[in-house]
Amino acid sequence: MKRLVLIAAAAVAAWLLPYGLGGYAIHVADVAIIFAILAIGLGLTMGVAGQINLAQVAFFGVGAYTVAILTTEAGLGFWTASVLALLTAVVFGVLTGIPALRMQSHYLGIVTLGLALAFTNWVTNAHIAGRAEGISDIPVPPMFGVDLSSGYLFYYVELIVFAVALAFALLVTRSPLGRRLRAMRDDDLAAGALGAEIPLLRMTAFVLSGLYGGLAGILYAGLIRFVAPESFNIANMFLLLAMVIIGGRSSILGCVVGAVALSLVREALLDASGYAQLGYGLVVVLVVVFAPQGLAGLPGQLQALRRRRGGGSRAQLGPFRPYEAVPRAEERVALEVRELTMRFKGLVALDEVSLTVPAGQIRGIVGPNGSGKTTLFNVVSGFYTPSRGSVALHGREVSGLAPYQLAQRRVARTFQNLRLFEDLSVRENLLLGLDRTRTWWIWRYPSLPWKVLGYERALRARAGELIDRFGLAEVADAEPRSLPYGIQRRIELARAMAMSPSLLLLDEPAAGLNGGEVRGLAEIVRSIRDAGVTVIIIEHNMGLVMSLCDQVTVLSSGRVIADGPPAEVAVHPDVVAAYLGDSMAAPTEESAEAAVEEANR
Amino acid sequence: MQVFLQTLIGGVTFGAVYALVAMGFSIVYRTMGLVNFAHGSVVMIGAYAASTFYLATQLPFAVAIVVAIAVTGLIGLVIERFLRPLENKDFTLMLIGTIGFGAVLEAGAVLVWGATGHAVPSPVATGPIDVAGIRIPTYSLLVIAVAAAATGLLALFLQRTKLGAAMQAVAMDHQAATAVGIHVGRSNAMAFAIGAGLAALAGSLIGPMLYVNPTMGGTLGIKGFAAAMLGGFGSMPGAIVGGLAFGLLDSFAAGNFQEYSELVTFLVFALIVMIRPTGVFGEATVNRA
Repeated sequence: MKRLVLIAAAAVAAWLLPYGLGGYAIHVADVAIIFAILAIGLGLTMGVAGQINLAQVAFFGVGAYTVAILTTEAGLGFWTASVLALLTAVVFGVLTGIPALRMQSHYLGIVTLGLALAFTNWVTNAHIAGRAEGISDIPVPPMFGVDLSSGYLFYYVELIVFAVALAFALLVTRSPLGRRLRAMRDDDLAAGALGAEIPLLRMTAFVLSGLYGGLAGILYAGLIRFVAPESFNIANMFLLLAMVIIGGRSSILGCVVGAVALSLVREALLDASGYAQLGYGLVVVLVVVFAPQGLAGLPGQLQALRRRRGGGSRAQLGPFRPYEAVPRAEERVALEVRELTMRFKGLVALDEVSLTVPAGQIRGIVGPNGSGKTTLFNVVSGFYTPSRGSVALHGREVSGLAPYQLAQRRVARTFQNLRLFEDLSVRENLLLGLDRTRTWWIWRYPSLPWKVLGYERALRARAGELIDRFGLAEVADAEPRSLPYGIQRRIELARAMAMSPSLLLLDEPAAGLNGGEVRGLAEIVRSIRDAGVTVIIIEHNMGLVMSLCDQVTVLSSGRVIADGPPAEVAVHPDVVAAYLGDSMAAPTEESAEAAVEEANR
Repeated sequence: MQVFLQTLIGGVTFGAVYALVAMGFSIVYRTMGLVNFAHGSVVMIGAYAASTFYLATQLPFAVAIVVAIAVTGLIGLVIERFLRPLENKDFTLMLIGTIGFGAVLEAGAVLVWGATGHAVPSPVATGPIDVAGIRIPTYSLLVIAVAAAATGLLALFLQRTKLGAAMQAVAMDHQAATAVGIHVGRSNAMAFAIGAGLAALAGSLIGPMLYVNPTMGGTLGIKGFAAAMLGGFGSMPGAIVGGLAFGLLDSFAAGNFQEYSELVTFLVFALIVMIRPTGVFGEATVNRA
């Protein structure tokens, strides 16, 4: 309710603003809105999706130049040209985004910057783009007799476009798509393992970037009715970047605030532009070092500071509420690995490994460090493509599929070193696991936004249930990094279970847990198995393996050296040799049992 | 054929300068994992410092270069000190921070030297040497020789001195380096100063070949960066190979596409990098998770 009042007040203020402004001031406001739209686009790609896109100004230029060329050279009407310009900008966005499929961070930054330079180079030299002089006589956009050559009336057109653009950006960031984009930014491997189609998501980010760039370009062409290369050069790209960084790159509203503020500052310092540039540079450096989340992040930073002074309370895990057991299905094979070989250059990490895991089993995988256990998981979950051999899931060949495709086939995993999304809350981490939609589902965003909101509500309800089941109620809205290690392990397990998997791969789930937590883990894993999920578990805690697993496979130097019920495997001479070195004599049955008990204690 | 060879010589000359820029990028990157987007602007400051000193004092060009190296080395130390809290942490933030520094340096240059820039007369008076109908400017030979000497010295420093070895150790594993008693902060500062010094050398050398102005850093920086990427980021041999390759790409694009050379250069670059993101000598991780 309070939020509605605020929005209404902002809308009314924006609507009444022109009455208080002079002719030049309204022009400044018009330009500020255009930069705000651009900044939203950059915030979405860079802040939310983590794609370092330094070509946003070029997309802006593509939009403006397309309108200019189509109206003056091809004689199209302004709005027809605008639609085509928007399409062109999106196409440019997609083309610029293609390198993002192969590289990230600074590599992507330099390639997009190079492409932006290529664009300015083209417009400064191409006859059709008016070379260095630019294109001047762009027609006034017609609008049912309203004279849009007036900065006042154009302001309202911009305001409406801006409101829609802002609302759409907020919808994107606060819904499953935005969450996936942020997850991809924080850790694309873990996001892929949760079923996010990384290549498609990266392209989506660049489509959004092109869309907002194009939109701003069209408005610019309609407002200024003149385009020239220097409006789209690297200096302006830096200004835009400064807006987004100072405002707060991962907050859309922050980007808008930054854009409007810096546009105004730039106007005020027009006479001292040299010093202004110096100032932006310094402010950006200071923001990066002291307030990485920009203006939008300041309240949170202050709060954290205060909390640190107050001293926090220690978070507690609640009890786990077991799943309802389902009657075990007739015995069939959940996972079959056949003669799998994985080579890294000269090193053979897996050497003709074969194993068959029946449905509904808890299978342990043990072996000394470096024996290829995690490599096996990485192959089964799609992170590595095997050099030779095959993997079949419920009888269907799956080797060579990408992690997200396996996640969609209901393979879930956890990671040895925990891969939670640190900047997302625990609840959001779970929501990512629960959201099973495919990326093409996003056509609903522009056409059926209310369905998106409905779906989000349903997801949240299910997340609530899951939080309850795993006893995470107390920490649901905390950031994972602030929580003790044992709780983080539990969260990762809950996130994997959120995918309602048929095969769950646990990579050293007991590492770093204390005795009580290990017992809790065993209880949870059993309940998961009873709910019909096949579990494969890599673990060094032999006590846990012996008591929990139905069958144990032992790897050593990339080969399977033993496979069978835990008690048998523990006394297998090869296993003992692999663990203790072959100079030892093979122990007797009793001494092995004693060793197992020792481990249990 | 003659045109081809002539373009080749131009390409190698510029390539030698790009290689110096790329080595500056690489030595900072491998030592502290920082991608210094301000590097181009440091090159520009170096070009200004050397040319201003050379024109104002009438001292030999070599002395002017040494002064420029000292000036930029100092700037490098300041940048490093400022960004130290971000080292080995958030990649994106560091990158943006250095972009911010680049803007500061550029704005500073405009304030000190004005926006228009100046031309620098060639410090070598003798005319071009004629070899089988191809004219080789003496200055080109000088540039190539100086770049080669600088590369040799750097290699000697990194491989034969204790300080250089310490820097190599930090590059491989900064935690392990700390554990054996290497002062990582000091080593990083040194890498930054050397990187900035290389930038100044590149800037001083390219001054007489181009027009020295405040915005030259942007393009030079991007080209040097692209060169480092072509060779394999963080690899010193890669920087040299990438620099020469990019110089050749650049000058052949200029020869065949005239005013569209930049467009062609960067499109070709984007294509090459897409096919082989790790460059010739390769960096293990491109997709930093």
